[in-house]
Order: sequence, then structure tokens, then C-alpha cells
Amino acid sequence: MNVFESLLTGLDEARRHIGQTVLALLGIVLGTASIVTVLALFGGQAALTQQYLAEVGGAGTVIVGDLPQSPTPDARALASDRLTYRDAELLMARSRTLDAFAPGWEFYPRYQANGRTFTGQVMGTLPDYARINPIIPMAGRWLSDLDIARRSRVMVMGWKFADSLFDDAANAVGRLVTIDGKQFTVVGVLEREEFYFAAWEDNALEYRNERAYIPISTAFSQFTNHDGLSFMTLRAREGMVGQAVDEIRSLLYAQHGVEDFEIRPSGSFADGDSAEFMLLFNYIFLVVGAVSLFTGGIVIANILLASVVERVREFGTRMALGATAGGVFTHVLAEAMVVTLLGGLLGLALGTALTGTVGYLMQLPAVVTPAIATLAVVTSAVVGMVAGLYPALRAGRLSPVEALRYG
Amino acid sequence: MPALIEARGLAKTYRLGRVDVPALRGVDVDVQPGEFVAIVGPSGSGKSTLMHLLGCLDTPTAGRYQLDGEDVSALAGKRLAQVRNRKVGFVFQTFNLMPRLTIEENVALPLKYRGGVPRKERKRRAVAGLEHLGLGHRIGHRPEELSGGERQRVAIARALVGEPAILMADEPTGNLDSKAGGEVMRTFEALHAAGHTVILVTHDPLVAERAERIIQIADGQVVA
Repeated sequence: MNVFESLLTGLDEARRHIGQTVLALLGIVLGTASIVTVLALFGGQAALTQQYLAEVGGAGTVIVGDLPQSPTPDARALASDRLTYRDAELLMARSRTLDAFAPGWEFYPRYQANGRTFTGQVMGTLPDYARINPIIPMAGRWLSDLDIARRSRVMVMGWKFADSLFDDAANAVGRLVTIDGKQFTVVGVLEREEFYFAAWEDNALEYRNERAYIPISTAFSQFTNHDGLSFMTLRAREGMVGQAVDEIRSLLYAQHGVEDFEIRPSGSFADGDSAEFMLLFNYIFLVVGAVSLFTGGIVIANILLASVVERVREFGTRMALGATAGGVFTHVLAEAMVVTLLGGLLGLALGTALTGTVGYLMQLPAVVTPAIATLAVVTSAVVGMVAGLYPALRAGRLSPVEALRYG
Repeated sequence: MPALIEARGLAKTYRLGRVDVPALRGVDVDVQPGEFVAIVGPSGSGKSTLMHLLGCLDTPTAGRYQLDGEDVSALAGKRLAQVRNRKVGFVFQTFNLMPRLTIEENVALPLKYRGGVPRKERKRRAVAGLEHLGLGHRIGHRPEELSGGERQRVAIARALVGEPAILMADEPTGNLDSKAGGEVMRTFEALHAAGHTVILVTHDPLVAERAERIIQIADGQVVA
């Protein structure tokens, strides 16, 4: 029994039972289409999340922060200074796994410039911050080691602040800005950072445009008498994130005497609500797809069983002419797979169209990759194989004599 | 010359629930190459069972069966299917052609199951077989477009295409009117005259008379 003939008989059987075939095909088509669409959206979403994570600190980034203090702290917890600049210096001196260190202290002073006043974020940090985060000056420059050493009163502004204070962001360089009564010179303005998870969502990175950066040494000397940090952004050497987390933990524990900090390697950041919503949406579609495929498979199994019973004598004849039980089994199985493969291909086409439409309407990046297409076609063939298995077994098990006598 | 068919004590018992039903109770049959034999008997006599055993469609519960020098009584499954394919050509009462295939595709089926025969060669042999039986003008048609007599001749061409040792026909005229039946019988006679070995199962005495020799079966035994 060659494949081509099985294919033709399969198509012909499908035509003879056109009503049921359409129903079965519908199930397979919708199931495959739905799975293709979901995987394409899923892939687009995952790529987007990866991109976002790269924006806020790519692979290798480790963020250390204070844990909230217990309402009933013990003596050790009370004795700890929490996260300080000394911790950062300790890591810089002792760490073998990290290659970039950006301790940060953020506060919310009053800005005064160009006759305008408002309250906004200021972040004191080190030049390394730009090695971990995508900091690109659109005008002027970024913080330098000299700024740190001299405790210079210089400031690098985020795009939004610069734009709203001086009408045009690029105008800000060289201007004076007063924060909490201390005058700073603007030495640089950063490119606007933008990231949209979906067309209807706000810029997920807008908060980065609404702040100014100053040397951390200046921040401590001008605005406070402590050296406490809001966070430390660190970067592990290539492929050393795991070791870095362990090393940071042991070094900080030695310093604090208690684990009052948390270490978050990149990838462990919680996705936004939007991502969670998309995930739920995707699971629903996947379940619907699986159910459609399953139903289609059952209908196909039914059609095939009916067709096997109808054609018992045909199988008997084929055996009399020399077909083996295995040959008959393969024949029926091939018929099943022809129908579901056809459904799978139609479903792939429909799913691709659907992906394009949904992606366009919702402004989501979704692409049917070759891997998804292959998966869809293979899945439909597997459904056909499973659906055809029992009818094929029944046909193959017929005894030639009984089959010839039948009907 | 050694016998083409040499069956000794061939028996077949069917099990229906808890009851054993003997269909054939020890039959000896010999058929020489080139013979034209009719197996006759009333329905339920066991003549069909005998044909199934001789045609390797089934295996005997007891006895020994030598076909063309090979002991096939112990064969089953794939090996038996191969013997069927090579040694036996079947013609059925209801023709049993595949409705979706053209007549030459139908005729080529046994060669397809044999394996190793290239597609072109299969087609060539099928067409030659059909032309030999006067059906050359029907090539490309499907069975439903043919008359009953023509269909049966397609079935005969299919039975012959693999050059089997025996041609076996089970009531080949049972579904035909007397004219078409007469044609089919003449075809068998012509084949016999050309040297083919033909075994025919029938309950019609007029059909059986055309054969050289009649084996009469009753109650699972040869009576004459």
C-alpha cells in the first residue's frame, strides 16, 4: 500500500462522509488555529518581556535591596546598619563574581529652575549605573569618576524633567537647577526611554525619564549624614549569576549579622499585571484549542470506525490479494492522518491570518515562527494517528475469511 | 508430474461460543497442474471452507496441505499473505473490485502488495491482462461504469496478473445473468485450455458440468 493511494482513498473517504468530515475538520481547524495564534502571541509576549528585562537590566543584573524590617526586631536586626555604601565598597573590594557596581540612594527634593518648582526624584549613584542600565545621553555627558571624587554638584537629567523645565530637553545642558536649596549644574540630558507592552498601555519606562542623577558622594555630603542605600544594582560576570548571588549573600551577611536584605537576579522580576492578564488569556485559548482538537479527533475516530465497518469486505479482498494485516492497519491510519493533516494545514493558515489580525488590532508583536507551524502540523498528524489507531487496529485484526463473508 | 495441490486429512473446526462446529472433517484433495476442478455441494456443506483452506485464506485445525511443493499448513499471518499473493488468484461472486480505483489500478493491486514491482511495470502488466480478456477499451474506467460480466472479467484479470499457480473462483457466476455468466465461464474454459489450473466452487450443477472433474462435498466430507 503506497502512501499516495492511502492519501487518495483517505480524501475519497473524507468526501464520501462530507458532513462528518466538515465537522471533524472544523474541530481540527479551529483547534490548530487557536493553538497557532496563542503560541504566536505567547512568543511575541515572551520576546517583549525579555526585551523589557533587557531594558531595565539585562541578563547578569542582580539587584540588592533592604527587606522590610520586622515589627519585632531582635538585637541583631537592630544592630544592623541595613544596606549602606560601605556594603557596596565591601563588594567592590572583595567580590570575584561581579564586574559592575551601582549603589543607589534616591530621595524626593524640591526642584527649582527656570521659574518652576515641583517635587521629584533624585538618584545618587556611581558611573557604573550606565554600564548596567541603558543610559544614553542625548546631550552633554554622563556622571564621571571625577564627579564622584570631587563630590561635584553636577546633575544628569532624565528626558521628561529636562523637557518640562526648559521647554526643550537639549536646552537643559549648562543650566542651573536648585534641589532642596543646593544649586547643581546640568551636565547631561538622557535619551527618552520608552517601552510599550501593548498599544493601549502607557510607557512602561516613563519613571526613568522622571528623575535626575547626581554623584552618590555629593548626595551623601549635601543632603544627609548617613550612608544608607535604597538599592544596589550589580552585574555578575558572564555566566556567574548563581555564584554572584551566593557571594553577595555571604559577604553582606558577614557585614549585617542578619539576613535583612534580598537579592534578586534578573529574570526573577515579577511581570506586570498586563503580562499576567495575557498569560491567562493565552491559557484559555490553549485549553479551547486542545478541546477542539480532542473533539475533532473523536469525530474522526467515529467516522473511521463507521468507514471500517462499511468496508470490511474491501479489507477482506485486499487481504485475499496479498495485503498483510500490517498493510491494512497502515492504510486506515494513513486515511486518518490525511484528514487531520488537511485540517492542520487549514488551521495553520487560519491561525496565521488570525495572528496577523489580532497582532494588528492589539498592536502586539506576534509571529508564527517555523517552529510553531511545524508544531501545529505535527500535532494535527498526531491527533490523526491517535484517532485512527483503534479503527486501524480493528481493520488489521480482521480475519480474511470473516471479512469476505461479511455483509 | 508432482501434484499442484496435495491435501491430506484437511479439517477445520469453528468454535461458536462453547460449541465446536466442524466445517470440514478430514478431506483429501489432489489437483494436478492444468486441471479444471469444480467443488460442489449444498450450502453449509463445507465447500467454501475447503476453498478458503486451499486458497490459504485460513489455516486448517488438522491435516497437511502442500501447495506447489511447499507445506503451507503451518503458515500464518504475513507468510500466509505472501503465499496467497504469489500462488493464488481469487475471483469472488460479488467481484470485490475497489470502487475508487480505475480497473487497471484494481488489476495491479496484487503486484502492489507483492512489492518490488515498479509502478510502470505494474501498469503495463495490468493493461496487458485487461487487453487479453478483451477489456482494452475499458481502460481508465471505474468498475461502476462496467457491466457485471465485464466487472467479473476485470476480477479475473486481477486474479491472473500475479501469475499464480491456481485460479480460485467462488460462485463466479452467482451475481450474473445467464448471458454474462456464460461469457465468464467461457473465459475460464479458455484459460484452462491455455494451461491454467482452475478451481471453481459452485452449487450450480450447470456451471460444475463445464469442469473436467467434480469434487462433491457434503457434511464436511468428500462424497464423490
